[in-house]
Amino acid sequence: MNTDKRTRKDNLFRHEAILLIVLVAEWIFFRAIGRNFGTYDNSCDILRHSCEIGLLALAMTPIILTGGIDLSVGSLLGLCAILFGKLWRDGHLPIPIAALCAIAAGALAGGLNAALITRLRLPPLIVTLGTFSLFRGLAEAITHGLDTFTNFPNSFLFLGQERWLGIPAQAPLFIAIAIFFWLLVHRTTFGRSFRAIGFAPEGARFAGIPAGRRVAMTYVLAGIVSAIAAIIYTARLGQAKADAGNGYELFAITAVVLGGTSIFGGTGSVHGTLLGVAAIAVLQSGIVHALQPSEMAGMLTGALLILALASSVLPKTISSLRARKSALKLAKQNA
Amino acid sequence: MKKLLSSLVLLAAFAVFSGCNKSAESPAPGADSSKSAKKLTIALLPKSKGNAYFISCQKGAQKAATELGDELIFDGPTGTDPAKQNEIVENWITLGVDAIAAACENKEGISTALRKAQAKGIKVITYDADALTDGRTFFVNQATPQGIGYTLMDQAAQLCASNGEFAIITASLTAANQQEWQKYIQEDRDKNYPDMKLVAVKPCDDLKDKAQSETTALLSTYPNLKLVMAICSPGVPGAAEAVKQAGKTGQIKVIGLGLPNENKIYVHGGVTQAVILWNTMDLGYLTVYAADAMAHGNLKPGDTSFKAGSLGTFEIKGDNILLGKPFVFTKDNIDQFDF
Amino acid sequence: MKSYFRELSVAGALAILLLVLAIFAPSFYSPQPLLSLSAGAAGSLVVACGMALVIISRQIDISVGSMFAVCSVCAGLLAAMHWPLALVVAASIFIGAIFGAFNGTLVAGLGLPSIVVTLATMVTWREGLRWLRQGEFVNLPEGIQWFGLSQKSGQWALVIGALGILTLLAFMMKHFSIGRFIYAVGSDAEVARLSGIRPKLTTFLIFVLMGALVGLAAIMNIVQSPQVDPQSGTGLELKVIAAVVVGGVAISGGRGNLWGVFAGLLLLACISPALTHLHIEAYWEKAIQGSIILLAVVAEGLRNQKSSNHG
Repeated sequence: MNTDKRTRKDNLFRHEAILLIVLVAEWIFFRAIGRNFGTYDNSCDILRHSCEIGLLALAMTPIILTGGIDLSVGSLLGLCAILFGKLWRDGHLPIPIAALCAIAAGALAGGLNAALITRLRLPPLIVTLGTFSLFRGLAEAITHGLDTFTNFPNSFLFLGQERWLGIPAQAPLFIAIAIFFWLLVHRTTFGRSFRAIGFAPEGARFAGIPAGRRVAMTYVLAGIVSAIAAIIYTARLGQAKADAGNGYELFAITAVVLGGTSIFGGTGSVHGTLLGVAAIAVLQSGIVHALQPSEMAGMLTGALLILALASSVLPKTISSLRARKSALKLAKQNA
Repeated sequence: MKKLLSSLVLLAAFAVFSGCNKSAESPAPGADSSKSAKKLTIALLPKSKGNAYFISCQKGAQKAATELGDELIFDGPTGTDPAKQNEIVENWITLGVDAIAAACENKEGISTALRKAQAKGIKVITYDADALTDGRTFFVNQATPQGIGYTLMDQAAQLCASNGEFAIITASLTAANQQEWQKYIQEDRDKNYPDMKLVAVKPCDDLKDKAQSETTALLSTYPNLKLVMAICSPGVPGAAEAVKQAGKTGQIKVIGLGLPNENKIYVHGGVTQAVILWNTMDLGYLTVYAADAMAHGNLKPGDTSFKAGSLGTFEIKGDNILLGKPFVFTKDNIDQFDF
Repeated sequence: MKSYFRELSVAGALAILLLVLAIFAPSFYSPQPLLSLSAGAAGSLVVACGMALVIISRQIDISVGSMFAVCSVCAGLLAAMHWPLALVVAASIFIGAIFGAFNGTLVAGLGLPSIVVTLATMVTWREGLRWLRQGEFVNLPEGIQWFGLSQKSGQWALVIGALGILTLLAFMMKHFSIGRFIYAVGSDAEVARLSGIRPKLTTFLIFVLMGALVGLAAIMNIVQSPQVDPQSGTGLELKVIAAVVVGGVAISGGRGNLWGVFAGLLLLACISPALTHLHIEAYWEKAIQGSIILLAVVAEGLRNQKSSNHG
């Protein structure tokens, strides 16, 4: 009988390799049929457009690894953007102080999620569904639904719009955070505990892992990262609005799952998430350069997600079918 | 083997999807290109896709592009995230379009991207909803915001004999256009109709069903309400249906900014008394002609008039190209229009 | 009585809201607007019932909003082609069931996680519809609105129809073995399989039922006005999941009943008109909605903690 000797790790490696091939194929494809796709300017733009989503997806990865989920990151981005704008414009705080306050607010908000999920043992999906509405609602209430913040100083807008030493200004920050998350998930005991908690929560507890604290950490980190993303978003757009980041949470989850992280937790990688973000970002830009309607990017992303999921499950299905077939054959022989 | 197979399948999927070329426009053969041999690429940006108002602008725009021998790209945000318009414009910059015509959802935000386009030599014009003045050369204004606001308020006052309560249904509370029109509605009311009282402003997020439910609630909250003014196009049929279902047809007036086709049954049914708009196809047509002229250097700041193909000559006031005055569709004339 | 704590507390919250309205905004209780409000919520109630079953079986379906839009537009187009109303209704339910079957095949057949599958289908159907329709309304012919009845009869028909579906499904869940299977599969699919229940088939059928109910809700929606907006159904999945969760259904599966969901839906559906009648600004709506969801879940969590501490 054919035993599948592959470990979970090997499956993940295969998944990321395929995603890399898809990414390269997308690039080649759009270079061929797109108009002026793939120039240096275009690549910089793709990086700038996917920076905030990328940050949210990075923060989402440890959360999903632990078997949780956070639907509130997009709304929190909007709330932190508004707080940042309000503290700067009406509170007359200098930009760096306002930014730090917004980040603190993000940490607090993440802490709210963390407390409800780890202390009260509430399901993450519902808690973050509630905070998804609550955070967006607070942003709308603070601005009375109509206020926006704009006219930021050029030194601030530099972060989102200009280039530093030839690369987009937000890139070093993004790369730093990406490295942080990669090290956290792949090189520290924290990261190993995330996977353990996602794979078998009770087992992790018996093994002495402080599951509550570790899980809480992932949500607070997500809050901080959402705030950072909010500041970069405001710099890029030049305006802070209550509906900033609408729909970003689903985009982030898509990128994480595309990258091979299991939504049930236990397996996954940060580099997979980054590949997922890249695949979607390249697709979106490529569609515009190919003069196709934007809706097509959405449809293809949905199709890509299903194909990615199916392909990760297919070997297991095939081998179990194969096993069943040979077991039946064996039973017939012995009968 | 499996790796190769799955990646081939995915490549094939992409190849298949690339065969659908629905939106790529190409100039009609034999188009008049005697003005200049160069075929321009003009990119038209709506506030959002899936909005019938902008589709009708696109129809006019496509007609103009065909006449001029230009290529028209039409694309816009499919979601509600404010940064999406910027991303599309920035992609167009790298794509290398000659002119961008934008209807701006976020005035300050979009100007960031439009300034970048202008720096790269792309001509920028706005239509329907303006950006900041340093982001574009001209604004094709269907009617001045003052004209729109005043026409709405004047119609309302006329229908209510200049006194009574009225409510406004708007798109979303942050929409810059609607905010500006509201300002002029209030101004007209303050100056000329002090006995008209605005009791509520409710957003419907451009959803007809939401406009209907909001209006239903307004009708029972404010028993003395005399008129509902819907200043976003899905709001007009929504509000009208609510008034009809409440049995208040004719008692509570409904007016708004909407497309004729969506409102014909309510106007004929006496539910909606007036629909105010402008010819959206002409708006698109004029916008593309202006963009083309700018790209060829035939339209420059300081010009005072502009001729747009078969539509004739238009007045330019400062940097506003004026389509004209708002048009009032009523029972008597609405059937002449099909958009 | 203790095991119905969640459902009763939701009903209690609803009662308090209605009392507040009776005191401060009695205009809320005018019969015609209330009837219009109830008829408008009829479709959501039907979808909420389906969602409750999906969540009880430990799955989730966030594509209901997009399915709803597609079914509405298809039904509208068929009606505009002068198909008889009964066929239009059947077609809408059938189309919904097909979409549900697609979800079900991926979830039950391939074992893919339902949240991701329905995320993918939600985006795909919504974008596809937008691309095809470009925001254009579908104009319905005469005789479709209110099923061809008078407005009042039509609205009552919708309300009674929705309540009927609710009662039928609640009855099914309590007294028929299929109901027992759904709770079993939601509690522990492996144990269910060992007991002879077929979890994959049950899950598949639940998704098909969800789709069919969405198709029915789409019909309930289009008969309420002479035009179909392709953007209808926006935000439906959030509204319905919130109602289900507030109504006491556990997201981990295996627990909950439809009457709680009914109370939850009423509570959330009343927020928006309540704000208007109490002259509270509309921009508080999302914050209040989120707070209700959190309060509901926190109350449940505190109760669980208390009982586990005593245990």
